[in-house]
Amino acid sequence: MTQKYRLDKEGYINRKKSISFKFNGKKYFGYEGDTLASALLANGIHLVGRSFKYHRPRGFVGSKEDEPNAKVQLYDGAKTEPNAVATEVELVEGLVAKSQNCWPSVSFDLGAINNFLSKFLPAGFYYKTFMWPKSFWYKIYEPIIRKTAGLGVAPLKPDPDRYEHKFEHCDVLVIGSGPSGLASALAAAKNGARVILAEDKSQFGGSLLTDQVTIGNKTGKEWADETIEQLKSMPNVVVKNRSQVFGYYDHNMMVMFERTKDHIESPSEYIPRQKLWYIRAKEVLVSTGSIERPLIFGNNDRPGILLASAAKEYIKKYGILIGKKPIIFTNNDSAYDTAIEFKKNGINPLVVDVRKNSESTVVKEARDLGINIKFSHAVANTKGYLRVNSATVGKLNNDRSSYENLENIPCDCICVSGNWTPTVHLSSQSGNKLKFDEIINAFIPNQSRQNETAVGSANGSFTLKKSLEDGFHKGFEISNRLTKKNIKSDTPSSNEKNYGKHENFWCMPLPKNKDYKRCVDFQNDVYVSDIELAIREGFRSIEHVKRYTTLGMATDQGKTSNLNGLQLVSNIENKIVPEVGHTTFRPPYTPVTIGTIVGREVGKHYRPTRKSPMHSWHEKNNAVFVDAGLWLRPRYYKQGNETLQQAAKREGANVRKNVGICDVTSLGKIDIKGPDSAEFLNRIYTNAWMKLPVGKARYGVMLREDGIVFDDGTTTRISENHFHMTTTTAQAVNVLAHLEYYLQVVWPELDVNVLSTTEQWAGAAVAGPKSRALLKKLFPKIDVSSEGLPFMGFKEENLFGVPARVFRISFSGELAYEINVESDHGIFMWKKIMELGKSMGIQPYGTEALSTLRIEMGHVAGSEIDGRTIPSDLSLEGMLSKKKDFIGKRSLNREAFLNPDREKIVGVIPVDKKTMIPEGSHLVKDKNAPLPNPKLGHISASCWSVEYNNPFSLAILKEGKKRIGEKLYAMSPLKNKSIEVEIVSSHYVDPKGERVRS
Amino acid sequence: MQRYSIFSLIKNAFGGHKDWEVAWKDSEPKKEYDVVIIGAGGHGLATAYYLAKEHKITNIAVLEKGWLGGGNVGRNTTILRSNYMFDPNGLFYEHGMKMWENLSQELNYNVMYSPRGIINLAHSDAQLNVFYRRGNSMRLNGIDAVMLGRDELKKMIPFADFSESARFPIFGGLMQPRGGTARHDAVAWGYARQINSMGVDIIQHCEVTGFDVQNGKIQGVQTSKGNIKTKKVGLCVAGNTSLLAEKLNMKLPIESHVLQACVSEPVKPFLDHVVTFGAGHFYCSQSDKGEMVMGGDLDGYNSYAQRGNLPTLQHVLTEGVAMFPNLSRLKILRTWGGIMDMSMDGSPIIDKTHIDGVYLNCGWCYGGFKATPVSGWTFAHTIAKDEVHELSSKYRLNRFNTGHLIDEKGLGTKTWIG
Amino acid sequence: MLEIKCPHCGSRSQNEFSYGGDSSVKRPELGKEVPDKDWDDFIYFRNNPRGKHSELWHHVAGCRQWFKVLRDTSTHEIFKTAKLTEEL
Repeated sequence: MTQKYRLDKEGYINRKKSISFKFNGKKYFGYEGDTLASALLANGIHLVGRSFKYHRPRGFVGSKEDEPNAKVQLYDGAKTEPNAVATEVELVEGLVAKSQNCWPSVSFDLGAINNFLSKFLPAGFYYKTFMWPKSFWYKIYEPIIRKTAGLGVAPLKPDPDRYEHKFEHCDVLVIGSGPSGLASALAAAKNGARVILAEDKSQFGGSLLTDQVTIGNKTGKEWADETIEQLKSMPNVVVKNRSQVFGYYDHNMMVMFERTKDHIESPSEYIPRQKLWYIRAKEVLVSTGSIERPLIFGNNDRPGILLASAAKEYIKKYGILIGKKPIIFTNNDSAYDTAIEFKKNGINPLVVDVRKNSESTVVKEARDLGINIKFSHAVANTKGYLRVNSATVGKLNNDRSSYENLENIPCDCICVSGNWTPTVHLSSQSGNKLKFDEIINAFIPNQSRQNETAVGSANGSFTLKKSLEDGFHKGFEISNRLTKKNIKSDTPSSNEKNYGKHENFWCMPLPKNKDYKRCVDFQNDVYVSDIELAIREGFRSIEHVKRYTTLGMATDQGKTSNLNGLQLVSNIENKIVPEVGHTTFRPPYTPVTIGTIVGREVGKHYRPTRKSPMHSWHEKNNAVFVDAGLWLRPRYYKQGNETLQQAAKREGANVRKNVGICDVTSLGKIDIKGPDSAEFLNRIYTNAWMKLPVGKARYGVMLREDGIVFDDGTTTRISENHFHMTTTTAQAVNVLAHLEYYLQVVWPELDVNVLSTTEQWAGAAVAGPKSRALLKKLFPKIDVSSEGLPFMGFKEENLFGVPARVFRISFSGELAYEINVESDHGIFMWKKIMELGKSMGIQPYGTEALSTLRIEMGHVAGSEIDGRTIPSDLSLEGMLSKKKDFIGKRSLNREAFLNPDREKIVGVIPVDKKTMIPEGSHLVKDKNAPLPNPKLGHISASCWSVEYNNPFSLAILKEGKKRIGEKLYAMSPLKNKSIEVEIVSSHYVDPKGERVRS
Repeated sequence: MQRYSIFSLIKNAFGGHKDWEVAWKDSEPKKEYDVVIIGAGGHGLATAYYLAKEHKITNIAVLEKGWLGGGNVGRNTTILRSNYMFDPNGLFYEHGMKMWENLSQELNYNVMYSPRGIINLAHSDAQLNVFYRRGNSMRLNGIDAVMLGRDELKKMIPFADFSESARFPIFGGLMQPRGGTARHDAVAWGYARQINSMGVDIIQHCEVTGFDVQNGKIQGVQTSKGNIKTKKVGLCVAGNTSLLAEKLNMKLPIESHVLQACVSEPVKPFLDHVVTFGAGHFYCSQSDKGEMVMGGDLDGYNSYAQRGNLPTLQHVLTEGVAMFPNLSRLKILRTWGGIMDMSMDGSPIIDKTHIDGVYLNCGWCYGGFKATPVSGWTFAHTIAKDEVHELSSKYRLNRFNTGHLIDEKGLGTKTWIG
Repeated sequence: MLEIKCPHCGSRSQNEFSYGGDSSVKRPELGKEVPDKDWDDFIYFRNNPRGKHSELWHHVAGCRQWFKVLRDTSTHEIFKTAKLTEEL
């Protein structure tokens, strides 16, 4: 249970609670409060993975979300998570992790052969080769490349976890709980603002957790703890940890994910794994801190080479020494803190500083502690394959182009610091055009475009004093814009070390005649030579450099490498950094789990399911359902071993012979009321509506403005100023929006209101020669004769006490009625109809039989009204009023629409009268014609005609009816079929429409 | 021009890669060119290439207001296909597919054309029938297409939702085996390198600010780098076409909309094909780096911002998880947006204009990348000969007056529904 | 995610609304003679500006009213929303 590198003091871990975990198959122990990274380092493990391209050994570089290397695979099976960042994974009992992108093991990885071949694999090498012979790219080369692609392994099973969404509003969202974040949250909260403070780590406090500072009379950590407690006690404040704001979207919509489960030892199954927070913030304070930059030198990418701040954090937060023979390599003062922490814990570090000197108090403190400092020196190269074991250190010559007196100094870790980069990602996402700060050599936020303000080191203020002042000041100012309460908080006094200026020298020269690899992007294997090559080849825009070399495109998105890459380009190009510009910062700041973004709309809940009130009856009666948009409709009612076709035939035949009942609840229903309703319909529909009498229905077709048929249905005049419109199931939603558009936007002068009543009514179509007799039984009071209730007639009556609407309309082409009752009575209506129809042989029929019946009648539906056909294509020219204008009419006189040879609806039967013609077949003249074989039209719908007991199809065919009698071929190459067919009228059954009027 | 090959790579490796020439050089504008192409994206560069290669016109400037390849050619999801229902589209894009098959060799630049197959999943018999109509049309046009059943698909993409809990079960899928992907940046860079060697000037950071038109004839363009004389100008600026057209007093049947795409973190390859979801608008493939490349719906309002909003991404990824439930535990690494030149019938425009010497290439909606070679090829013909090419003869602007529209989706003019 | 102030209901998030395109496009009066060109302009041809764009939105998951929005197409900033009867 030894944790060799764990100190017995320091850190915020709980040494009383030991936690066991597995890494690469071996069991280790850490403490509660550890991350996977700190627990591994406590056990002396630096080697965690391999780089993407050359499979060079990789260790930890950072201690937080900037970590480029330590991506591990967690667990296995459905719960596995690839590319987890070890520095961000909280240690829990039983955690299982392993290294990625290496085989057979992380310490012996055969992929490392690429490192030996790296000379042949510079940036963009794949663009220059693998071109011969032609087919080899996708047959040989690419499959090999794909074998080496990727880091972790994706789960192949559905995610067993749940994710939730939450919506919040606040006055001020503060992102990050370092000194400036806490200060601004406190100032804003005290001033009465509704504040959300979001911290991505488990612990609040940011740099206060690691820096030797005092605020008032407290240590930084004490002040942070106290401030958090104070904030938590305020009713106007929400404080969240483990919550990463990752996206800054339009109109101050901030998106954050909260880790709610994975850190808990035995979580309840009801806990979601993560929550996504949509936060609409009136003001956003970005206090996201800054990220340390690495230095660039020979073989700077070995395990054991870390950021100085990370080394300090491992000591201060976790009580871990990352090594016992450290070299601190820096161009600034902040790294001296790390040296001092080592020294305080009994380790003698060597500081290598590229600067000539520094006189700040922190350097003095280091000196006074007896720390050995080599100014004007640099690390030129390192050695050690799986872990750094020595550094080649030399004195920089005057122009810093080479070294004097190179010596090899043994070490077990190198802590590097190349100064700090403000974390400007979110500010930049908000539209803030960043500016380059010459003093800190980094970009900082400039002019906000949304209500966004950066504070503290995210804004380039690197001292505690400034951060606190900035935080308290901006927290007050910004909250006061909203609350106007003028409650100002005082900035507490603070004490910190004094840090001098860094020197902007960060890329070390190579010793003479050496071509050591100097790494810029650790995960993606981008080296100085790659960037030089890119520029040599003319990829000079920073975006070109990025894309050509893949700099900053790894899973860390270049948090530690982008600015170094940028500076490198500016050096080579002899430009200043702002001239080179920066690549675009895009969401997410850190990778976000897809499940978190998706939330609860998974599996059956992907989309809502709409069911008719009679659904349970259908289920009990062996209905096989079909998706019709969001609706589930009975497709057929299975009897015994029937196939779909057999059932459709039986159900359809029963309609033609006896009587059938079909659930038509899903049809769109719109109530139209108001004195101008008839006039409105007259404009919307192609046919005339002014003279429709009360109590009568009419079939109507509506067009889009471009002349294309939009929808059809019947509309009934319930009373003088009240109409009931029906639409197809598919277009119900769109038709309502269409009507509202014309009423509100185009013809506001019309006094009409529309309202969807689809869900208010349950509908049953009762169709067949015996439907009249059945209706008589259902509504004994109604005169059901053709005179009493003629075709397209309408009556309101009650159905055994239930108010009902009875329409004499027909889609099946038979004598038919449609009965509507309020939804709650739907099941009563249905059962009553079934009960009273029993003696007449009533059977329910589903959409498949319905389809059969409409096809053989030549009634058009969605497969003909497909968004490309005009009325005359569908034999609906008779529906076009010549006397009035209507929506879309003006478009019908286009050249293409007037062409008499357009594709128009016809009927098609196979010459052999046996072979079903597959839907989606095309009609051609010559089945053996060379390709492309000219197509004359296509089969839109097919059925087995129950009337004639042979196949029948509808087709949209060039020249339409002119071809009746002609023989063509219906070709379905996908089904390997060509069928000789004869063109007939689309009105195959009852062409004169006598039955519906009988 | 230096030739790229395994041999040149080895030779240069021993020389420390010091002898590679620039792929293309940055030029400053000359006073006059025979042809000015506006837009150094895929289509603009390809147009210049075919002008030089097929029509021997090399005194060309390609003007780019930003950096070469920074528009949609560098922002798309790299899908290549010709799985169209209507002949004008099918035959046009199929010609393009044939060009893709030889493009790496032709450009001596590996554009990584990879015919991994594109599968459109269907979730009902009705949808299958629509796919049959399209697939049969493809086959009759000589384009490869196969219909896959549920069982075949189970073998090919076992991680798709074939379970009982799928809201919209998978019924089958239409596959174009030769459909696939290519490396988008390489296409732009490969063309740029070739035209540079043929003497074409590529001028970056040069924005066109106006046109010099006299008596209905183009005389030159005004740019941020000065005036350039020319008798022929080709517009290849995708989502920005309306803005340039306005300077020519032209209104177009185009709206600009933002389309988002995203990639996951790289994972070991498990998806070989490009797969589209039929009960929504989601598509997904896996890059050679291992990233899942995903996209879907437009953000749904006119936009020139190369970024979108989260609700659309949420919507798209919801569809993604409905199709591939195992995507849920992967993480999104990068999201971005591109500006789509959405035409009113969903099909492109390659045509002459009312101004002599001004040529139009736009309206690619979100399908422009796959058209890069064939668009350049037909547009070069249009510019060189001052006549539309047979292959793109149905893509004329006047179809919005005559009614000869090519509406693959049947959605009409509400471009934002996409 | 856009925040759109419905002139009838107040500020709501974008997902309650659907878009309706350029509000400067006016439908020619019904029953009136319209030259072909004007008609085609109405159906197909758009200004498509970069910058300020007056457009229609529909509060579909709210009051179901159409209304006008003045929005910047490059920044997505919304300057103003108005009822159909009001000027933008």
